Amino acid sequence: MEVVDARAALAPAISLVCAALVFASADNTFWRRFFSIAAALAKLVIVMSMLPGSLRGVVYTFKLVEFTEGVGLAFRADALGMFFSVVSSTLWLITTIYAIGYMEREPNRRRFFGFFALCVSTTVGVAFAENLLTMFLFYESLTICTYPLVIHDETPEAMKAGRKYLIYTLTGGAFVLLGSIVTYQLAGTMTLSQPGILPLEAGRTTLTMLFVALIAGFGVKAAIMPLHGWLPSAMVAPTPVSALLHAVAVVKVGAFGILRTIYNIFGVALLRELGVCTWLAALAAFTILAASVVAIFQDNLKRRLAFSTISQLSYIVLGAALLTPLAATAAIVHIANQAFAKITMFFVAGSIQRTTGKTTVHELAGIGFRMPYTMAAFTVAALSFIGVPLFAGFVTKWYLSLGALEAGEWWYALVMLASALLNAAYWLPVVYTAFFKTEPTAEVEVHEAHWTMLGPTLVCAVFVIILGATVSVPGMPFALASAAVKFVFGM
Amino acid sequence: METEATRSFLPLAAFLLPLAGAVLTVPLRRISARVRDITLLALTALCASVAVWLAAHVAGGAVYEAYLLQLTPDIWMYMRVDALGALFGATVAVLWMLALVYSWGYMAEGHRLGRYYSFFMLSLAWTMGVAYSGNLLTFLIFYELFSILTYPLVVHEQTPEAMAAGTKYIIYILVGGSLVLLAIVLTYFAAGDQTLRTGGILSADIGQQSLFAIFWCYIAGFGVKAALVPLHGWVPDAHPAAPAPFSAVLSGVMVAAGSFGIMRVLFQVFGVELLREMGVMSMVTILAGFTVLFAAVLAVNQDNLKRRLAYSTISQMAYVVLGVSLLGSDSTIGAIIHVTNHAFMKGGLFLCAGLFIRRLGVHRVSQLDGAAKRMPVTAAGFAIAALGMIGTPPLSGFVSKWYLGLGMLETGNPLLLVVLLGGALLAAIYLLPIVYRMYFREPVLTADDKVTTEGREAPASMLVPLVIVTLLTIALGLGASLPGMPVSLARMAAETFFH
Amino acid sequence: MTPWPPLLALLIVVPLTGAVITPVVGRTRAVRSANWSLGVMLATSVIALVLVVQVARVGPFSYVVGGWVAPYGIELRFDEFGAVIAVICLLGTLAIVFSRRYAARAMAEQRIPYYYALLLLNLTGMIGFAVTGDLFNLFVFMEILSLSGYALVAVSGEKIAEMAAFKYLIMGAISSLVILLAIGILYALTGSLNMADVTERLGGAPAAPLAVAFGALTLGFMVKAAAFPLHIWLPDAHAIAPSPVSAILSGLVVKVGIIGMLRVYQIAYGSGAVDMTALNTVLMWLGALSIVMGAFFAVFQDDIKMMLAYSTISNIGYIIMGLGLASSYGMIGASVHVFNHAIIKATLFLGAGALIFQTGKRTLTDLAGVGHAMPWTVAAISVGAISIVGIPPTAGFVCKWYIALGAVQAGHPFFAFALVFGALFIFIYYIRMVNAFYFRQPRDPAILEVTEAPASMLVPVLILASLCLIMGVMGSVPLSFIEPAVQRLLLPLGGG
Repeated sequence: MEVVDARAALAPAISLVCAALVFASADNTFWRRFFSIAAALAKLVIVMSMLPGSLRGVVYTFKLVEFTEGVGLAFRADALGMFFSVVSSTLWLITTIYAIGYMEREPNRRRFFGFFALCVSTTVGVAFAENLLTMFLFYESLTICTYPLVIHDETPEAMKAGRKYLIYTLTGGAFVLLGSIVTYQLAGTMTLSQPGILPLEAGRTTLTMLFVALIAGFGVKAAIMPLHGWLPSAMVAPTPVSALLHAVAVVKVGAFGILRTIYNIFGVALLRELGVCTWLAALAAFTILAASVVAIFQDNLKRRLAFSTISQLSYIVLGAALLTPLAATAAIVHIANQAFAKITMFFVAGSIQRTTGKTTVHELAGIGFRMPYTMAAFTVAALSFIGVPLFAGFVTKWYLSLGALEAGEWWYALVMLASALLNAAYWLPVVYTAFFKTEPTAEVEVHEAHWTMLGPTLVCAVFVIILGATVSVPGMPFALASAAVKFVFGM
Repeated sequence: METEATRSFLPLAAFLLPLAGAVLTVPLRRISARVRDITLLALTALCASVAVWLAAHVAGGAVYEAYLLQLTPDIWMYMRVDALGALFGATVAVLWMLALVYSWGYMAEGHRLGRYYSFFMLSLAWTMGVAYSGNLLTFLIFYELFSILTYPLVVHEQTPEAMAAGTKYIIYILVGGSLVLLAIVLTYFAAGDQTLRTGGILSADIGQQSLFAIFWCYIAGFGVKAALVPLHGWVPDAHPAAPAPFSAVLSGVMVAAGSFGIMRVLFQVFGVELLREMGVMSMVTILAGFTVLFAAVLAVNQDNLKRRLAYSTISQMAYVVLGVSLLGSDSTIGAIIHVTNHAFMKGGLFLCAGLFIRRLGVHRVSQLDGAAKRMPVTAAGFAIAALGMIGTPPLSGFVSKWYLGLGMLETGNPLLLVVLLGGALLAAIYLLPIVYRMYFREPVLTADDKVTTEGREAPASMLVPLVIVTLLTIALGLGASLPGMPVSLARMAAETFFH
Repeated sequence: MTPWPPLLALLIVVPLTGAVITPVVGRTRAVRSANWSLGVMLATSVIALVLVVQVARVGPFSYVVGGWVAPYGIELRFDEFGAVIAVICLLGTLAIVFSRRYAARAMAEQRIPYYYALLLLNLTGMIGFAVTGDLFNLFVFMEILSLSGYALVAVSGEKIAEMAAFKYLIMGAISSLVILLAIGILYALTGSLNMADVTERLGGAPAAPLAVAFGALTLGFMVKAAAFPLHIWLPDAHAIAPSPVSAILSGLVVKVGIIGMLRVYQIAYGSGAVDMTALNTVLMWLGALSIVMGAFFAVFQDDIKMMLAYSTISNIGYIIMGLGLASSYGMIGASVHVFNHAIIKATLFLGAGALIFQTGKRTLTDLAGVGHAMPWTVAAISVGAISIVGIPPTAGFVCKWYIALGAVQAGHPFFAFALVFGALFIFIYYIRMVNAFYFRQPRDPAILEVTEAPASMLVPVLILASLCLIMGVMGSVPLSFIEPAVQRLLLPLGGG
């Protein structure tokens, strides 16, 4: 059931307004904080108010501008989009609070919070985009809005990382644009409301090339190897930005784009016919393993996190590429699972950096006694990545393995297992160093980060457990994922 | 033949009580160490009584179940107490309670007691969960959790050796856990059902190849925990490194959890019929038989006491797998009760080893000369447990070996008796010299060992658990045929497996 | 409202008269010339607006000056492409406003009235060029705007300015000659100079002279449009001219070449006598080359205006490619980009002018950190930069989208590829610019003390910047406006 409802457009717009207000609030700290948090709350409320309807199967649509027939800015909150926006708006609120604590003494806070809000606005825009053009529009805007955040420190490395980021993502964006154009030409429409719009008559070669273009375009942000180069460099950004890059917005938008490409542009049936997803799955599996192996050798905590992100995102891609309902469920659910676990880790990394100034793993000896709650949250996230049951990551691992078997490609189940072990290989040593190695200095005092940083960290960690343990409680995002899968597979 | 299960909160309580203990450990320490100790003991004792009560009633023919939470639309976390689980649960809870009491004395001057006690309680909670799991996914969840969350206990001492052992432990366990996960995923995919039930849930239609894949994934996965020989590497390192009370439960229960998993899977996922049809069990038999002898031979050469005991564990646990692999009802009974018997005997041995370490500062077998004079009670406990381990009647070890032997004859494998007796003989070779040294050698005095002639017996809080364990070893042997004893539960379990 | 054709004459007469009188008005006080020319431009703008509304309602119409009918008389013809006069008037007005303070500093007082006169003359030339209906007047207006353009480049009187103007003059004169030659050939073939007439009579003309004529026209207009490799005059001229002039030159004057091309197409397609396929192929490649080479050169510039000048070459590349594709989407995109690029480039040049005016510095290195001192101006420039790269939802994106779509539609996906990635290349140097303004440490801390530009400069820049956004969000308005003209143009080809 489709309903015209302005809320679909309001959700992205509210952050836009927030950004404007933040910019307008000049250097008044109070109002900046007020607007940031108020807007985050407002958006969460808007998105949540759509959730019950969405769970009932209602799809909210809203047409903003129409350029020519069928081409315009339009929003449509279907199950998949709702899932993504619920995750991102929840995390936005949490990250905003964290950022307020983290950025306490940083310069240029106005710019930071302004663009921060813009990023989330565009993310929800991508989530609710009704057509490829709208999606591209927000996708590109996201790139631009993130740039000032990445180079926030204005150090030479930051500038270099920012340049790298832009070159990668804009090239990706160019491919997406190219793909959108060709899609429009072939299908005569760009809507994302159907389970596939492209006809097989367009020719196999053309379709394959189109698929490659779109996947390459979105794959840059989703950091599929070998398109991942920007992600580890972008780690120079302040931690809330890394959180934004890795959990809330950027990489997820890439992954989301891939989901849309596979499910709504090509459609499962067509892709099965084309057989291109075999390659995509292989590439994703390679990324999962290779990035994990690289992660093992990173000493800088945030770099390790970056490679972990690369690896984890390919779970989503792999899930999508397997083209079976169970794997698709895993792919969609992993958007939330990875987001919460990864953001927990980033918050921890940031808290440690702010409180103790430490950034590398080997410096963390004994940090578990200094910051017990922080590191407990980290451990929860680590266990989730390893895929220990009752934690969020397990749900993905379970469904993805089943999906691989369903597709008759059992070796991907092995990949999942290998990846879980690799995750253990690079996360457990961190936990180990933190809790079981003693600090060089004798006296250990509990010295946690400020509550604005600790609170969000713990909340995220709790979410990791909730997502893992209560998957099937009615009203949980999982139901949305199932609904999306049912739609896509015509079940 | 399925017995109608009764809904009960007790299985949940057995799991939640220690969990509460784990949560309370740190806040209670704020009040005082004593309050914490007493509370933990009370919770564990309660847990143990629940487990024993359940075992008693299950022996009377009841089956209990409880639903915990819904994981995915079609999978619940579900607990079900049947004969096999009830026996294992009771063993776990009792041994854990004793180890906890023992910890008071052993860990008195230890560091980071908060961490120690809370993870000690957590491990108990998860292990109870393993015992009472009603379906594969629940089993997996608890199994993985307790495997990973015991890591802090293994490395508790934080010495370099402990750290190295911990790393080895976690690698082995994670690989094993992954294989189990893979097997469970495959099972779910093939059978679409998770409930552990008599007769198995897999059918032969899914193809020989898939069946073999699933089978070997399970055996390899649980085999790591159960320390089947090529997969046993973590055991000899982890045991000496861990604190003695934890070594006791590690050896007595946690290794057994692997064997327990194998039993669950073989009888309730595959089912006897299917296994016979597949004809793979002979390979498991060979593997287990080899483990029995190989580990025992290795044990003979160990000078480090706890290390020797660790190899002994490997050898003894292989009996369980051996018994199961024969697919005969008597050998299965032997296997099941051996889990319980071995838990108390090996627990007792490790408690003694801990006392030697704490009271005499002795780690090595060669330093134990004349220990009996200084610690008569401990030495007596050690001697009884060692005799039980060898299989001397009327101690409990004899009962399990008796049933195992019966099973070997029943299934027509008299040659395996050689393994059984060889294992026992080797056990005598590696355990009796210790007893001999304690009782019949004169103590060797070292420079700093001034007060050798005075009594050096351990405090009561450490002796009591040891005495109880020793009494249990005797009682389980003497009263083996009484109703309500492990044998009756094991027989019930075996009957359902073999109808 | 029915069209009232004499308005078309007025459209030219008003600014022309105004231009002539300006030096007289400003003889005593220079500022009067500014006010006067602003008044003239506003009046012209009103006329232009009325005309555009009319053409949107009823389609093209024409006015025969003095009642002499074709082929002898002078015919003014107004169609949708001619609507570019709206942009001309807008930019002209804003440039005049902007010049008020700028000119006072940049040149000697006695030159100021002449500066405004030349500006008006230049604008008149462009307006005339856009609305004329015959080839000879086309040439005449082109010369008016070219000559005034040369003078405007040189107006500051500096040595280097004269050099740039000289280069511009030489190239401009050669191209004018080539165009004149082509017009001569067409006249010889048809005996008429009226474009509509020429179109009708061209039917049976021999192929060889026709090819020469159209080739020459294209060549000439490509020089005017500064397509690579005929661009060499542009960077110096545009960078050295006073900023408001740069805005006019870069935003509008180069478009003369484009509008010229559109007229040529109207003749060629309308008559059906000329096969444009080969030429189109050349144009497509020229366009692609211009995009890439313009971007390539721009990357190495440090002078901000130089950078903007090279970026004009890239954008002209878009348009030429769109024309060469000869598909309806491509053509629409190209036509609309004539409007949009004018607005965007004017934003950038006027913004850059404001920066230079306030700081006295013109290289990126020196301007580092200026974003904190002049937030509004730099924000406007950033909007312009984002727009010119074609990031949605700005004006630049609409055109990029349509031209790329046109490339796919025409069966040349490679050009869509070149366009999309060329745009990326452009982005590299704009990001350098934005970086320097916002994110680099100032080389000279004094730059942080600079104040925001005066209102007469800031307001035009902000108006233009907001137009960059509006033209993006309301992208459908110009698109649907221009569509009938493009459909008419492509009709002989069997529709778009």
